[in-house]
Amino acid sequence: MTDKMSLVTMPKWGLEMSEGTVSAWLVSEGAKIAVDDDLMDIETSKIVNTLTSAKSGTLVRILAHEGDLRDVGAALAVIALADVSASEIDAFVAATVSTEVAGTDTAEPTAPVAAPVSLAPAPAIQSQTPRASAPVPMVADNDADFVIPASLAAGADDSAIAITPVARRLASKHGIAVNSITGTGRHGRVSVDDLRGAVIAAGGRFNVVSALRTNASAGGKRTDDSQVPATPVARRLASELGVNLHDCRRTGRHQRVSKADVEVAAYRSNPAQESAVTAQSSVASNAPLTKLPSAQLSSEPLSAMRKTIAKRLQDSKREAPHFRACIEVEIDRLLALRKQLNNARNDANISVNDCIIKATAMALAAVPAVNIQFDGRQVTQMPHADIAVAVALEDGLITPIVSRAETKGLVEISNEMRDLATRAKIGKLKPAEFQGGSFSISNLGMFGISQFDAIINPPQAAILAVGVGERQVRPDGDIGFRQATVMTLTLSSDHRVIDGAMAAKFLQQLKNFIDQPATMLG
Amino acid sequence: MAEKFDVVVIGGGPGGYVAAIRAAQLGFKTALVEREHLGGVCLNWGCIPTKALLKGAEVAHTLNSMQYWGFSADNISFDIAKLVAHSRGAADKLSSGIDYLLRKNNVAVFMGEAVITGKCKIRVTTENKKLAIDAMHIILATGARARQMPGLAIDGDRVWGAREAMTPTVLPKRLLIIGAGAIGMEFASLYRDLGSEVTVVEALERILPIEDREISQRAEKAFKRRGVDIQTASTVSSLRTVGDHIEANITGPSGTVKVQADHAIVAIGVTGNIDNLGLEALGVHTERGFITTDEWCKTNLVGLYAIGDVAGAPWLAHKASHEAMLCVERIAGETSARPLAVDHVPGCTYCRPQIASVGLTEDEAARRGINTRIGRFDLQASGKAVAINEPEGLVKTVFDAATGKLIGAHMIGPEVTEQIQGLVIAMGAQLNDRQLVETIFPHPTVSEAIHESILDSINRAIHQ
Repeated sequence: MTDKMSLVTMPKWGLEMSEGTVSAWLVSEGAKIAVDDDLMDIETSKIVNTLTSAKSGTLVRILAHEGDLRDVGAALAVIALADVSASEIDAFVAATVSTEVAGTDTAEPTAPVAAPVSLAPAPAIQSQTPRASAPVPMVADNDADFVIPASLAAGADDSAIAITPVARRLASKHGIAVNSITGTGRHGRVSVDDLRGAVIAAGGRFNVVSALRTNASAGGKRTDDSQVPATPVARRLASELGVNLHDCRRTGRHQRVSKADVEVAAYRSNPAQESAVTAQSSVASNAPLTKLPSAQLSSEPLSAMRKTIAKRLQDSKREAPHFRACIEVEIDRLLALRKQLNNARNDANISVNDCIIKATAMALAAVPAVNIQFDGRQVTQMPHADIAVAVALEDGLITPIVSRAETKGLVEISNEMRDLATRAKIGKLKPAEFQGGSFSISNLGMFGISQFDAIINPPQAAILAVGVGERQVRPDGDIGFRQATVMTLTLSSDHRVIDGAMAAKFLQQLKNFIDQPATMLG
Repeated sequence: MAEKFDVVVIGGGPGGYVAAIRAAQLGFKTALVEREHLGGVCLNWGCIPTKALLKGAEVAHTLNSMQYWGFSADNISFDIAKLVAHSRGAADKLSSGIDYLLRKNNVAVFMGEAVITGKCKIRVTTENKKLAIDAMHIILATGARARQMPGLAIDGDRVWGAREAMTPTVLPKRLLIIGAGAIGMEFASLYRDLGSEVTVVEALERILPIEDREISQRAEKAFKRRGVDIQTASTVSSLRTVGDHIEANITGPSGTVKVQADHAIVAIGVTGNIDNLGLEALGVHTERGFITTDEWCKTNLVGLYAIGDVAGAPWLAHKASHEAMLCVERIAGETSARPLAVDHVPGCTYCRPQIASVGLTEDEAARRGINTRIGRFDLQASGKAVAINEPEGLVKTVFDAATGKLIGAHMIGPEVTEQIQGLVIAMGAQLNDRQLVETIFPHPTVSEAIHESILDSINRAIHQ
């Protein structure tokens, strides 16, 4: 049977990809597919890419629809390589999905199975079957999130209208006629946004964000916190307060979540309710947290990039015991070198940050114990200083990597950094250009920040936070003074793998290179 | 604090505005600085307004030849102000279209002068404020202006540059045109059809010197038949205004002659707008009035690029637009970007008969040592050309004899400017004679002559 059908699964693009969202299907069920044909767009936490087919045949079943989040390896669709019947497809899906579940992390059985198990015909082939509930003037759904005006209530056949599967599902669930709605989505299809626009324009209500989010969180694997180690008291309190144990620190014995951790998490998620939390926790009340009326808040789901930033930094902060070491460096000689180079070289515009990248690379080469990756079990010594540099974007940040920085000159680093930053701004970095790295630099000097702590970017084990260079009067000799431009560098290191003395040694090397920039040439 | 942009384009012509829109499309935060009109010379004082005027010349020609078609009329009058008004109207309409396109793409437009004050630093002076801008990438698209020569100064009164020549208030009776390139010949054609007596002076030995020799010869013959006085291998040794006319001494192979005319048009080429941009202080390399760039339009200064006329020949709007896209796409790391293939840039001259060409001339191919096979087809034998009574013309195709690859095409005749594109595509796609021969050309069209010319290159022409 398996040689008649082939399963399309969520690909793994890059080491850090663990899940992806189907952002758009580019073919529909029943379509003939050739090898390398575009199947669907998949959004990962970092990129949107098109998945192409490895097989040629017929797309007979779509298992993950637009908007669905799936783990790497999870089933997305079935391609038939020969003629198959619907029952054969069902059997194939049932078989592969169950083996897949057996093979995946048993701790989270709900995620991959959730969608494939619903073997109802997919929306694409559902177009001729009944879709609308009875049209009623001003249909108010059970949830008040949807109020459909009579002018849009389903009536005439709209099966020929091009519409995204998600929008089709919503329209049929809430009895919206799509005939009169102009599609502005991909390929001119009616999108969820178009539905919302039309409903709101006709005076109805269409709170799709909360509707979709409810679905998402129901299927999302992070809701299940049963595997998070926690004390029984903490677990009970968490469920009473609606706190997910994933969001709690684990400061209790045996690294369990304690009652205090849950209280902190509850406070953080809703500080205005502090007294309520305390009161509730002390009396173990069952009353849910009061919420502000949703009309007063504008809320939107996190973008994929924001989600990644949130998850990675939270994991890092929770897992890695950060310790910080500060050092002040005088950068006057570095500034002089930069000026000299910039005056002499038309083809370069070297920034202070470029100089810091170079000095850091040289210091990493001198103290390789800091130039490592750590995955929680193994320490990997990195052969080169691959320095990730934080670049601010309109709606987040990304850390493109200057690879083998210790082998490159300042002009080369500077121009490479300009190219990386340029392409970072328009989302055109290749995964290899921002994934991995052996060390990070974050610089807020251009905003006048004098000193700050940064959070380690795993699997790296250290990050340098760079402040602004400021003119200062410094003591010189017994009674003398002099002026100097002073910058504060703060190293955050993962104490599990980098000891204080090692961090100090690294900072000392870094200071030496910055103090005596000519030594970077060696 | 300076305003920050990813890409800042200086100049709003067909290079600049295309660069800005493409940059914005790719997601860059983009600004454009223009000191005069969006659309640049092309749209305001070049390609577009002259085409508008030449349409009037075509009407004049049709009226002049109406008796051939059996019509007669008298009391035909001509108001040149109306024709100029149409021309200016067309330019204004298109210029406001550019403004809309830039806004639509969220390009910040600053109307003012820009100076590059340092690496990646610009100062913009608008009517009421000064503005400092930091840009990761600066694209210069400042264009070019008419070249001036001592003794041939454009005074805007009797001695015109292109601008004055396209906004006449009175039709000159006698006109002297200095320079027989595309601009000079278009004005010669325009004013001759409107009724002026025209003399054209060219320093080189033939008119339209960058075109294929045979095409130049055909054009010269056609112009002479129209009564245009053409003096090649000649220079204007003196030019002065005397009362309400100009007097010029023209020195040629057969001595010096004196010419009187109401106006002179100076069209002796262009020079890049490279002044007052701060380029000299920053050590930006220039060469004979144009900025030196590499194949990706990069200058020697970090983050600074130059596209279009200011970066040198060929001075064509479509070359500027093409460089705009390749330059921006290169910045964005698009792997599909390719350097400009100069031999694939077509050129069009909208005189009567029209002239269009792409690739190598026969002489240039010989100079490069390429063994060629030439195809020729005269429009005398083209059904459509005879039907519309414009049988004056030639299609010449140049093939590499060894590979059969099309390496050049040269056309003179009716509407050839609209037909050359077929051959530009053929060259871009690297088609050979065999593949082109198999192409079916629609009948009856003037473009069939292209097919016949290709057939002729392998001695298989049917209709000659």
